Amino acid sequence: MSMTYQEFPGVEWIEGAGDFIKVNAKKCDGCGNCIRVCLAKCYKMSGKKAHVDNLERCMECGACWYSCLPDAIQFSWPPGGTGFRTMWG
Amino acid sequence: MNEDYDVIVVGAGFGGPVAAHRCASAGLKTLMLERSITPGDKVISGLAIPFYGFMYAPSFIRDGNPPLQRPIRQVINNFIKDGEIYATDTSLWLPPPLALTYTAYCVPMCVWLADRAVEAGADLRTRTTAVDLVMEKGKVTGVVTDKGDTIRAKVVIDAAGTQDGLALKAGLRKKLPIDTLELYMLWDFDMSKQDVDSTIGNKVEFFCAMPDEKIVAPVGFGSTFYIFTYRESIHPGLGQFIVTEDKVESVARHLEEYFEKFTTTVSRWRDDIAPKVKLRAKMFDVCPIYAGLDRSVREMPIHGDGMMIIGDAAAMESAAFGDGVPNAWFSAAIAGDVAVEAVKAGDTSAEFLRRYDERVKAHGVIGASLSDTRRYDMRWALPGNDEREMRRRAHELFGRGVWRYRHITGQVVREATSLLSHEPGVAAKWLKMFNRYNRNCETGYSDTLSTYE
Repeated sequence: MSMTYQEFPGVEWIEGAGDFIKVNAKKCDGCGNCIRVCLAKCYKMSGKKAHVDNLERCMECGACWYSCLPDAIQFSWPPGGTGFRTMWG
Repeated sequence: MNEDYDVIVVGAGFGGPVAAHRCASAGLKTLMLERSITPGDKVISGLAIPFYGFMYAPSFIRDGNPPLQRPIRQVINNFIKDGEIYATDTSLWLPPPLALTYTAYCVPMCVWLADRAVEAGADLRTRTTAVDLVMEKGKVTGVVTDKGDTIRAKVVIDAAGTQDGLALKAGLRKKLPIDTLELYMLWDFDMSKQDVDSTIGNKVEFFCAMPDEKIVAPVGFGSTFYIFTYRESIHPGLGQFIVTEDKVESVARHLEEYFEKFTTTVSRWRDDIAPKVKLRAKMFDVCPIYAGLDRSVREMPIHGDGMMIIGDAAAMESAAFGDGVPNAWFSAAIAGDVAVEAVKAGDTSAEFLRRYDERVKAHGVIGASLSDTRRYDMRWALPGNDEREMRRRAHELFGRGVWRYRHITGQVVREATSLLSHEPGVAAKWLKMFNRYNRNCETGYSDTLSTYE
């Protein structure tokens, strides 16, 4: 099964990617960098902590991971054959 | 399932297959692991590969027939004020059959490269993520896949790309500093060949503006808005640094706003281009555009016990020169050679593999494109908000001024001179290469590529 979204034509997401990006709430200092750099709108804030709202449109760029100065974000690749793909990169 | 290989190459992007081709050609039992379904379908790049990348690439690329899109022979720098182009700099060009750079889509290029490695005898396993390394007494002796398999090898070549986590797991490298990174958006627009030919041609257009224009990521804040031409499409891109003046900017919002303003305001797009194109894809990625200029990154090791790290995984990307692919190819070829020597010598220790590090550092083009501080740096245009400085800097990299950059042009010439004296007949091969690439770009690519669905 794969999904497409109007905001990102030409890209599809293969199901089964799981939670390949996680936020450690204890380390998060609520700076909001992840929200400022994520073009896929994956993050939300609640109670001055960021959390992954959904990874539906994530293109695995790692901008959130790099931008997270307290290292609260754990970033890994999704399992083989899942996650985003495109013919037009 | 437990298996043994001489070499495991993690990643079948641009560099991985070159390393695998080298190892398999020398008779090593070689495995490539690739997490995507089709090689290249997770690679996002406004891909343009400079001519010297091909000239000094391994001969199977230089003398082969890679699926390229268009030779780019001229750079058009457009400077924007009050929403319109008020000046241009068109001084950088090369005559046919030469080209400054060749555009390509990542999927056919990576498939073509992976096909060559498989042809040479390498195994390729797609849909497989390497999630961890097998370590014994500090030495890398294999990888663990997402399927739970342990695959052992005498050498692991890490070609996993920019966001690679394996080198971090090996304790060799750290997350790249945020101020070396750019976030960029990329679009693909369908356009007839005739319209590409008549509207832009074999050229790339750059658009520069000062920050208060808020129309392209301003010079000083990122790379300009650019449009590369492909055979029957155009490929615009827009990048912005994640950090500006020590602050993480709202980059995601800026990029969306700038593109919206650019496409509705600038007549070059609105009137000349927009009526002839249809949006086909919209993508984004992070690129370590200034990683080479960061001392802490340069000091991170690119090899360890049983492991070598190549290309983007070793931050060998110089986006300012479009050198990501050439550096991946050059470092992959060196890593492949060293892996062959190490396996034959029965010694894959860090001590033995140090020669990889030494040869990479001695490679003129990699060194010059990455770390020379005289290199054009967009960040220089920022202080003083000086428009003349912006135009001068653009001329230095994307105008004729680039030829004065002796650290890179000198290396390109030096490499050519060295090959001309060591490899008889190489000049004829280069000429054939330029002509073959041009013909393919003009007539369309007809070789068969593997399918992985």
